Amino acid sequence: MRPVDPRLLRYAAAARAFFAAGGVLALLQTAAVIGFSYLVTHVIVRAIAGEQLENLVLPLVLLAGVVLVRFAAAWLAELNSARGAAVVKSELRRRVLDAVTKLGPGWLGSRNSTAVGVTAGPGLDALDTYFSKYLPQLILTAVATPIILVVIWWQDWLSGLTVTVTLPLIPLFMILIGWATQSVQQKQWEKLGRLSTAFLDVVGGLSTLTIYGRQHRQAARIRAVTDDYRSQTMKVLRVSFLSGFALELAASLSVALVAVSIGVRLIEGSLGLEVGLFVLLLAPEAFLPLRNVGAQFHAAADGVAASSDIFDILDAAALPSAPAGVPSVSSEFVGGAERGAGLQVRGLGVRYGENVAFEGLEARFERGAVTVVTGPSGAGKSSLVAALLGFVPAAGSILVDGRDASGDPVPRPWLAWAGQHPSLLAGTVQSNICLGDETPDAVAARASLDLVGGVDLDLGALVDSRGGGLSGGQAQRVGAARAVYRARRTDGAVVVFDEPTSALDDETEAAFIRGLHVLAGEGRAVVVVSHRRAVIAGADAVVALRALEAVLP
Amino acid sequence: MNRSDVIRLAQPRLRRFAPGALLGLVSALCAVGLLATSAYLITKAAEQPPILYLSAAMVAVRAFALGRAAFRYVERLASHDAAFATMPELRVGVYERLVPVSPDGLGSSRRGDLLTRLVADVDEQQNLPLRVVQPLVVSGLTAVAAVVAVWILLPAAGVVLLAGLVFAAALGTAANSWVSSRAERELAGLRGGYQAELADYLANLDTLVAYGAASGARASLAEADARLTRALIRRSAGAGLTAALVTLIAGAVTVLILLAGIPQLGVGGFEGPTLALVALVPLAVFEVFGMVPLAWGAWRQVAASADRIASVVPDSVPDGIPVDRPGAANELPGGPVSLRLREVSARWPGERRDALSGVDLDVRPGDRILVRGASGAGKTTLAHVLVRFLEHGGSYRVNGIEVRDLQQDAVRTVVGLCEQSPHLFDDDIRQNLLFAREAASDDELLAVLDRVGLGEWVRERGGLSARVGEHGSLVSGGQAQRIALARALLAGFPVLVLDEPTANVDADRADALVADLLAAASGEERAVVVISHTPVPPELVTHTLRL
Repeated sequence: MRPVDPRLLRYAAAARAFFAAGGVLALLQTAAVIGFSYLVTHVIVRAIAGEQLENLVLPLVLLAGVVLVRFAAAWLAELNSARGAAVVKSELRRRVLDAVTKLGPGWLGSRNSTAVGVTAGPGLDALDTYFSKYLPQLILTAVATPIILVVIWWQDWLSGLTVTVTLPLIPLFMILIGWATQSVQQKQWEKLGRLSTAFLDVVGGLSTLTIYGRQHRQAARIRAVTDDYRSQTMKVLRVSFLSGFALELAASLSVALVAVSIGVRLIEGSLGLEVGLFVLLLAPEAFLPLRNVGAQFHAAADGVAASSDIFDILDAAALPSAPAGVPSVSSEFVGGAERGAGLQVRGLGVRYGENVAFEGLEARFERGAVTVVTGPSGAGKSSLVAALLGFVPAAGSILVDGRDASGDPVPRPWLAWAGQHPSLLAGTVQSNICLGDETPDAVAARASLDLVGGVDLDLGALVDSRGGGLSGGQAQRVGAARAVYRARRTDGAVVVFDEPTSALDDETEAAFIRGLHVLAGEGRAVVVVSHRRAVIAGADAVVALRALEAVLP
Repeated sequence: MNRSDVIRLAQPRLRRFAPGALLGLVSALCAVGLLATSAYLITKAAEQPPILYLSAAMVAVRAFALGRAAFRYVERLASHDAAFATMPELRVGVYERLVPVSPDGLGSSRRGDLLTRLVADVDEQQNLPLRVVQPLVVSGLTAVAAVVAVWILLPAAGVVLLAGLVFAAALGTAANSWVSSRAERELAGLRGGYQAELADYLANLDTLVAYGAASGARASLAEADARLTRALIRRSAGAGLTAALVTLIAGAVTVLILLAGIPQLGVGGFEGPTLALVALVPLAVFEVFGMVPLAWGAWRQVAASADRIASVVPDSVPDGIPVDRPGAANELPGGPVSLRLREVSARWPGERRDALSGVDLDVRPGDRILVRGASGAGKTTLAHVLVRFLEHGGSYRVNGIEVRDLQQDAVRTVVGLCEQSPHLFDDDIRQNLLFAREAASDDELLAVLDRVGLGEWVRERGGLSARVGEHGSLVSGGQAQRIALARALLAGFPVLVLDEPTANVDADRADALVADLLAAASGEERAVVVISHTPVPPELVTHTLRL
């Protein structure tokens, strides 16, 4: 990790104000530290010189004032950095969500949405140390260390020289030891990784082990693996703790050198006590912020590394959106005798980078008919649906009643769709069916649910986001009813169902197929992606996609 | 388990813990000593005594500087080693308590997440000795030593230092209890709420976009985010105040000691160098004392983890989970195996309704039985009853012996199960098969892989040494099912239950998979019970049970 990650600063614009405030507070803290050291020295030296307490009231009051200022500055600095961390995280969360929404479901579909959720949620907490601990100390180092150094030089150049020479040793040693740690770690990386997950593997597989009667033998194995992990980790720690050692050693030895050298010169009489004691108190303060930076460095670096996924998402969204490939091939097709009622795709194709999902597809889905799309896994059925939805850039054209609708905005006004997964949201069955409708119509929702064979379902039933409260088949029908509801409310021309009966038993499936024909009878083009025999048998038309290898000679 | 059980297992025995704590104490005392002796050295030197008088102090200053760093290094190694040394016992302790209740006594939903969390919580317990007990012990003892030393030099200063430390400790404790009781709980709720909403948003983004509902969901997310951020800031304000107050108290102690010490100068041998020492030592002591608020923060996390472990790992086996009777037979006579279920019912632990009731089922060698039924009809419950994961009502006999008179392990030598989400161990394919039959040769393994339709695939991937990845991340759902079946075939269970083998398989591959699996599992001697909602070719099935 570099000391300051520029991407973090670029994307977390909110952080800048906190940096500025942090700088001002660091200045105040530094002034308080210098004032404190000076006044303590001053009081002690004058007391030793025989001054009575009555004559020291003013410096003591000032000292108390400085203590208060130091407290206030420390608290405000803590507040500022905590606030900064919280606001920056909030801003990053917002940006990630913007980015994901902009990249769209097509992009998200190629990723693990749970992993993206972790990245944008708990993953960001890994940045806490970076923003609330590491960066403030880095700012303090940048502000306090030079100022204190100048004061020490000004008071006693020899001590100034000592501190100036030892200070750079800290980052130098930390870098060297960091490299050494890395090489030790890399040597055992795989082994350490496996040992660290071995316990989880055993616990996760406990039911499988039980089935094979192997559950009782694992205690010894857990013990052995954990002991092995301990000895391997200690090997790494022996090296990595050296960086803390170097840091402490440089700081405390330099204070000791300063103290002894001042002591010798005091005995010789070439230095005054006031200067000597003042410098002694300041010397450790020159090291303190740097020591704190060092102590937080690894945690901060881990956090930044853990959050690098965030930047991959943000960077991806910052790219100009990908071109839609080959331009539409059929501008002249529109109108005329061939003007079709329903959905038609001409030369449609989708590719992901080098991989062609499908291409050159010509197909017609007529209003009033149930058309089933079949094809083996990998033939591009899901990509066809994604292209219709506008989630992925597609070549060729999509015509609705003869009008080129390829460039229509998402969500497509003419399309209602139910995906393979029911995608239920927390709420009720009705709120799920009426999703996106600002004036929900309970009667229409009921009718939609009945149409897809959901007579047994109650509109008011509560649903959680994992579909809890409903069985798999019930959830699937709620998802389908949602598409029916939208199609009817918006009088959409096309309704697409993706594997709508995979969780239904035979009778419910039969009822569902009857519903599809009712829907088609309302003058809509009903498109069903399915491999189920019953659905294919009940279709008015079939569009068969072939796996691409089979098409090529 | 309760929290104190976990804590007891996680905290190293005194003999192991003491070296690290002692070394830490020495290192902390060196830090205090460094400031004390250098302050003394300089003020004494100003009196310009012969240099010989101060050579001891000069040596001490250097020694303390070296000692502070060196002892700290050794201390960290010793305390980490001690903390790691407790892990085997803690892990085994937790594991052995899981065995009798797993899998169904752990709650049926999202068991994978639960276990991942549990393992992370167990590992979190390392921080108990490292970041909680040791810092508290070290800073406490350092404080006591400093108070005593200062008290000997100037009793009033000792009293002031003691009062300051006690005040700071009390403040830290109060702030900790405020944070953990109110702020943290509020935060946990808000964080969990936001996370759940975020997960929903992402998982359903396609639907939300397709229905034009994305912006509404975004607005609600932004609101939850703002609430969370406000709560975070409030919490930090309280926590940050404690740390700052410690510096305030430290400064106040210095001022008070100066006030008390200056009039004493020259009285009873109290000289300038001693004044410098007693006035400055508190600064170093409070720096060491700064570990205390951090230790409280670490304690909150450790305690929360310990509580979660305690809540997952039950004290006793819950109702509905079988427990072996004393004297239960530990093996069955060899030969063909038949099962006979009459009026069998079962319910999941903690549920009030039976998930299964009135089931009659006969399973004889060579049978291939399809179990059908809507979701929630009890198909998986039946599978778990058959392998004795769940206790049941009614009668379930194996070869005429009531299964309650048999040890669970004995039943599981004859009735095997391929789970809905079979667990693959993070190892190679060979090891994932071998634990089913340890003596199997590579040829046997390849033969069984051929039988489940994976022979080609395994050879393409470089043979049996190909790894399957963590939780089988390198294989697809269908391949995992095939590996699980291969494993079950190797074990040679006379009765084999396949529970929804297509649950994690794309719809368009599911039909072929279930037919393949059923064909591969069939045998003259073996009975197969397949639970499936995807259609199964009728010629592959001898009976159908509807639930």
